[in-house]
Amino acid sequence: MPAVDPFEHDPLQADRPPRFARFLAALSGTSVAVAVALGVVAAILLNPVFALPFTVVLGRTLFLAMVLLLVFAAARQWQPRRLPEWMPDWLLPVVVVGLTAPLAVALVYVLAVGGNVLDFVFSPQRVRGYLWLSAITLIMGLVLALVAVARERLAQVRARELKVELERSRLDKQSVDARLSLLQAQIEPHFLFNTLANVQALVEAGSPRAGPVLQSLIAYLRAAMPRLHAGQPTLESEIALVRAYLQLMQMRMPDRLQFEVGLPTALLGLRFPPMGLLTLVENAVRHGIDPSEEGGRIEVGGEPLPGGGARLWVSDSGVGMTETATPGLGLANLRDRLAALHGQAARLTLSEVVPRGVRAEIDLPAGRPDEGST
Amino acid sequence: MKDPHDAPMATTGAQAEPARWPAPGISALIADDEPLLRERLAQHLQRLWPALQVVAQARNGREAIELFDQFEPRVAFLDVHMPGLTGIDAARAIGRRAEVVFVTAYEQYAVQAFEQGAIDYLVKPFDEARLADTVQRLQQRLAVSEVRAPVDDALLDRLADELRRREPARRWLQWIKASIGPTVRLIPVSQVVYLRSDEKYTLVAWAGGEALIRKTIRELADELDPQAFVQVHRSTIVNLHHVAQVVRGANETADIHLRGRQEVLPVSRSFLHVFRQM
Repeated sequence: MPAVDPFEHDPLQADRPPRFARFLAALSGTSVAVAVALGVVAAILLNPVFALPFTVVLGRTLFLAMVLLLVFAAARQWQPRRLPEWMPDWLLPVVVVGLTAPLAVALVYVLAVGGNVLDFVFSPQRVRGYLWLSAITLIMGLVLALVAVARERLAQVRARELKVELERSRLDKQSVDARLSLLQAQIEPHFLFNTLANVQALVEAGSPRAGPVLQSLIAYLRAAMPRLHAGQPTLESEIALVRAYLQLMQMRMPDRLQFEVGLPTALLGLRFPPMGLLTLVENAVRHGIDPSEEGGRIEVGGEPLPGGGARLWVSDSGVGMTETATPGLGLANLRDRLAALHGQAARLTLSEVVPRGVRAEIDLPAGRPDEGST
Repeated sequence: MKDPHDAPMATTGAQAEPARWPAPGISALIADDEPLLRERLAQHLQRLWPALQVVAQARNGREAIELFDQFEPRVAFLDVHMPGLTGIDAARAIGRRAEVVFVTAYEQYAVQAFEQGAIDYLVKPFDEARLADTVQRLQQRLAVSEVRAPVDDALLDRLADELRRREPARRWLQWIKASIGPTVRLIPVSQVVYLRSDEKYTLVAWAGGEALIRKTIRELADELDPQAFVQVHRSTIVNLHHVAQVVRGANETADIHLRGRQEVLPVSRSFLHVFRQM
């Protein structure tokens, strides 16, 4: 099985780079700079207390700052993954830093006295220095730890925001793509030129049908053109579009297509995504009637549902859907637009018709306060 | 105008005497699934080339081949897009037995191929001047010799492949047919969240429900697009597009949380590699 990555975002959030890599990453330029700055501040604060030259004090505080930074980064990366519920994840590293501070200072002093511990213990001046240095180091360590934790938090929040943004822009792009391809699919050149060729044939033959057929073509084109000022899209306008389309198709394949469009007048005022039913009817032609030598019948209908909603359907007696027939963007797009207009309760289902054909059904829930985008 | 409903038929009174009779002129066949367009082409041909007799009209590729074999016309006008067998398929069956002119509406790829292969074609809706050019070329070719212009078989093969690729039939499963009560529901695979083996059957789960189908998980693993559907367990295939997140647990296992379904799917150790590189 290929290791695929069809996502722009990573579904495996628990998976992170190895700990050592993260440890090294934590020792970034910024954190080292912060540690150095803290070390310098500590040295300036401690300078009046010590009799030593400033450079020696600075050396010690810088050394301590670096030790604390290493310890903090290590504690952060190697702490157990599962912590007790009451324990915030920053607590352990901060405690470790707090404990390390006096120890590290002790180490500095032991080094300073050349390993002679007694020399250190019996010098009140040195003990005082030790306590001062420990206190300042402790404060320095805690400040360092808290700053680091805060930065990490901030980075997480930003990453999450970025991810949300990315996801949103991906969805935006998807919907724009879908709308574009829907528009392009509507006035497919193949459909348009074939229809025009038929109209031309009628006109040349002086057939009285030419007028009505042109009317249907105009109605279809008007509805299928991208509309800038769309009014309230209703089932009534949708049904008119579907009828125009079917009349054109029947002119083209009179021996292969019969149709019936009927809807109770009570349903005509319902809000409906423009070109929604048309998508289903075009599907019925493309997958059901057109591939069939004998053709078939398309029925478009609807009925009110007991609860106050409505059911609409498009059924055909064509060759039926093969399992590998590409559904096209139109159907998925229609699902989304139904949800936008009528909420998640709106449903679009497809089923097979016996003995052959496909039936698409749309269930619209009972009216709800109108909102949603069109 | 003739009633187009009664096609296919021989239009020269051949019904009474289906045996071929040596036509004084040159015979032709027109194949198009749209009757008005067959009629129009026949009428224009009559005006431009009175000696040409349209002996048969076919509604699809299969009829075109049958009628061609019956009448053996010297010219065949074949619509590219027809139900069942296409015009390209018919042309391959006809081979070099006739001069073939393709008729098409805006099949850009086909037009380019015809240009390259020097194959005659008409684009619908055509005007009479264009048809007159075609007629002239046909007349010249028929007058010069009895030897047919070589039909580029390779080109036709390529075009037939191209058409098939444009047809809805694709390689991967796009619909799952599941019996729910008395009806057979068609569920687009893009909506399927996961599939799980259930003895002889397979459970198909989507956001709005679930159903049992007869195919085994093994068959489905072969038929579904591996870009989206991956096996995560001996008995489970999941649609990656519906995975909310994968949470790694202890002992080299993981749990899949889904969008649109409450249940959590386990990933077994041997399939964990699927997620490792993400």
